[in-house]
Amino acid sequence: MGPALALVGSVLTLLAALGVVRFGDVMARMHALTKASTMGLVLVLLGGALTLDHPNDITSLLLAGALQLLTMPVAANLMSRATYLARGIPSEVDAVDELAQREANGQGPVSAGRDGGDGTPPTGRRSRRPRPPAPGGRSGTAPS
Amino acid sequence: MITASLVVIALAGLGFGYRLLVGPSLTDRVVGLDGLLIVGVSALTLRAMQTGEGAFLPVAVVVTLVGFVSTAVVARFIEGRGR
Repeated sequence: MGPALALVGSVLTLLAALGVVRFGDVMARMHALTKASTMGLVLVLLGGALTLDHPNDITSLLLAGALQLLTMPVAANLMSRATYLARGIPSEVDAVDELAQREANGQGPVSAGRDGGDGTPPTGRRSRRPRPPAPGGRSGTAPS
Repeated sequence: MITASLVVIALAGLGFGYRLLVGPSLTDRVVGLDGLLIVGVSALTLRAMQTGEGAFLPVAVVVTLVGFVSTAVVARFIEGRGR
């Protein structure tokens, strides 16, 4: 049971590596890494926890898996947001671009702790390159 | 079966290493480095399963934490630098 689970996890990680090599966009590559390899690593760690006997080993493996599950989405969110806001990296968002809609509504992009805490909206260098308006009638329909 | 898993993980490491070396932007390199960390933790676990010796397993926890912190720091860096 344990080795089979580890093999499935390894194959998932290999698929993630294939996506990271072959996808053509930064966001697509990050997507491939985050989803597939998180599941792959957690499966490998679970397989190890099922195989090994000592309680210390099982605790370490389960802790590593829980930490991976908790931190990987946060790290991917931080990275994709920074990539989107950075000026030099070409990145495309497919259908729904909620951050651009937020900017169009006059609210600045939600900055990760950069607002200073005094309520001033982030301005200045935060204004990014101009982005084409969101396709479809989305921008004019629902000002909530 | 564990040996096969190690071979598969090594192939995945080749893919991530390729992206780390040739990635056009800094984000691509971070993605490759993150993948290599995952490959390392997986290889550590598989080797522990092969030998039945779990003395290295706390390293997996530490590498997971260090990977998250480094990714967060580089994200802040990219956001400020813009490239």
